[in-house]
Amino acid sequence: MTTTVTKAAVVAERRPAQRRSAGVGRPGFAWALPATAFFVLFAVVPLVLVAVLSFTSWNGLGSPRFAGLDNWTKLFDDPVMLNSLWLSVLITVLGVLVQTPLSILLGVWAAGRQRNRAILSAIYFVPLLLSATAVSVLWRTLLDPNFGVPSQAKWLFGDGNLLGMQSGAIGVLVFVGAWQFTPFHTLIYQGAARAIPQVLYQAAQIDGAGTVRQFFHITLPQLRNTMITSMILMVVGGLTTFDTVLILTQGGPGTDTTISAYYMYQKAFKSFDFGAGSAIALLLVVVATVISLVVVRVSGYDKMRSSVEGL
Amino acid sequence: MKTPARISRAVAAGVALALGLTLSACGGGSSDSAGGGGSDKIHVLVYGDAANKVEKQLVATFNKTSKVKAVLDTIPGADYQQKLQTIISTPQAPDIFFNWGGGSIKPFVDADLLLPLDDFIKKDPALKSSFLPSVFDSATVNGKPYGVPMRGTQPVLLFNNKKVLADAGVTPPKTWDDLLGAVKALKAKGVTPIALGGGDQWPTLMWFEYLYDRVAGPDVFQKALGGDKSAWESAGSKKALGMIRKLVDAGAFGTNYDSVKFTDQGSPTLLATGKAGFELMGSWEYSTQQDSHPAFAKKDLGYSSFPTVAGGTGDAGNLVGNTNNFYSVMKKTKHPEAVAAFLKLQYSDEFVKAQLGIGNLPTTTNTEKFLGTSASPAYSKYQFDLVKKAPSFQLSWDQAYPQSASTPMHQAVQQFFNGGLDTDGFIKAMQALPTA
Repeated sequence: MTTTVTKAAVVAERRPAQRRSAGVGRPGFAWALPATAFFVLFAVVPLVLVAVLSFTSWNGLGSPRFAGLDNWTKLFDDPVMLNSLWLSVLITVLGVLVQTPLSILLGVWAAGRQRNRAILSAIYFVPLLLSATAVSVLWRTLLDPNFGVPSQAKWLFGDGNLLGMQSGAIGVLVFVGAWQFTPFHTLIYQGAARAIPQVLYQAAQIDGAGTVRQFFHITLPQLRNTMITSMILMVVGGLTTFDTVLILTQGGPGTDTTISAYYMYQKAFKSFDFGAGSAIALLLVVVATVISLVVVRVSGYDKMRSSVEGL
Repeated sequence: MKTPARISRAVAAGVALALGLTLSACGGGSSDSAGGGGSDKIHVLVYGDAANKVEKQLVATFNKTSKVKAVLDTIPGADYQQKLQTIISTPQAPDIFFNWGGGSIKPFVDADLLLPLDDFIKKDPALKSSFLPSVFDSATVNGKPYGVPMRGTQPVLLFNNKKVLADAGVTPPKTWDDLLGAVKALKAKGVTPIALGGGDQWPTLMWFEYLYDRVAGPDVFQKALGGDKSAWESAGSKKALGMIRKLVDAGAFGTNYDSVKFTDQGSPTLLATGKAGFELMGSWEYSTQQDSHPAFAKKDLGYSSFPTVAGGTGDAGNLVGNTNNFYSVMKKTKHPEAVAAFLKLQYSDEFVKAQLGIGNLPTTTNTEKFLGTSASPAYSKYQFDLVKKAPSFQLSWDQAYPQSASTPMHQAVQQFFNGGLDTDGFIKAMQALPTA
């Protein structure tokens, strides 16, 4: 596979020279072809198939039977489904609220030139290198009410029934998500903070602004575009959270943490109701698209200007 | 403009060709790997775990004499049902496959994929009569037998920590009132009376299975399973739910049971370390404890059957649990004779001895002869007598119902325990389950 793709890339690479000699400086469609082919094959085709499946009744045996709007009417009458959308949004919002301040502070700190900074940054980065599954198993064990941390810190955890009640279970999901993904966003902010021109700080210093003032009046405004990028990534990640739920709560207690992505899995691969599962998947696509559009609109990401204008 | 256009077409064709080749290459590799009923082979698909040792041995025995050779395929871990569902209607389907009987094969029967075993049994009556009837019947769908028992039976028992019970002056309970008394005494000692892996949900379900049986008899659940949803509203059903509610409210399970799991050793460790007095669990609790707490399993692990309920109609000898695992046969197998011959091995002396050797308890009529050779003879004999004498052996509810019911069923029992559903809510949730 690799060799064939490389060959195609090599063929494609020869083109700019010929182009330039022909006097045309714009790459043609062929450049995008390998990526487009993969995208169509593994994203567009499945999406269309899912859309078709959502109008059928199929348990994986035999061929799907056309069921009209059955799955969709059932979906909108299903309290678990509506609740799952709300839970997905809640976990996403909580994730953004927890991770953003932490990663901005860590990122700006890591952009500096302090002693031991590189070593500490490397350590902070470790959670990102672990698989979400391993992270979830680790925290599940650490938070065991009888043999984990809660049993030794009763003043903080009470009876340790973290995963047995809704607020506790959501808290654990948000915490574990933040523990794993804050390093990634820290990295983004670190890069962005490094790119802020030093002259701005030098000028501020001459004007007598302290560190705190510099942070709020130079660093934060300069990080605005980065914040939006990072938040969009958090929103997408939050809406598609799955592995932590699968391992930590299995959607429980009851349906208290059954978020949409997990509910889709339950319907399709636990109950073998692929029609209903597809309908949920499609709904999730629509909801995620709408939310991204809203974020882009509200943040002004679509008409974004350079933040170093005039320098 | 001409040159670039031609080049992009060439590149496009090249990429398409490359993609096509790699895809077909991917497909080519797997075409021969399973192949249901290849010319001179039968494929046997089983759940991949430690018990495969016996299955390998039996396949080897079979292949010594048979012209048609058997091939053992395994699917490891908990994904068995999912993967089976995806291959069973494809050419990759096996000839014979492992299952849990009841609801786990009902969809396959409905899709007309399975072979009823009537003809096999007519030719070889021992294929049915060699097994305990209560077990054999749980793979009967629409009145026809579709499975032959393999591996062992796993009734649910009330396990206890003898030392904890003795310290609190408690004996294994014979009646429900005994159990309530024991709960009080253990609580007074500062011990969680009953360990429960509520995070897994299915351990919670076991309490419903037994209480419904003891209070209202096995028929109520059978009626509900048959599609008569009014069974869930019956007086017996409501009484059983009321008793469960009282037990939970009495603090029998402590407060954090939903954060504990059986599958990650949480609840068995509670029992083994003396932090809990009882645990209601399938017979595999014994081997689990032998693995992780051998000293405890040898000295202090006690077991008894579920207590009776005064005024209840269910027989004290009734059991619930996994009646057995089964082999079912695909309709399209090309070698029915070879398959029949292979199934005969499932009640052979060799099979029984090998299963007992790895701690499983087969349900053949000749098992009794060999109980002495088991890894833990007293425990095997105790279980075998229970199963043999049981007037009814109810397959676990989540396996008796179709697959699509198991998630909502698990959610409902968990919510009833934690107060998220009241009696009426629970009854409604159970009535909403698909039955066929």
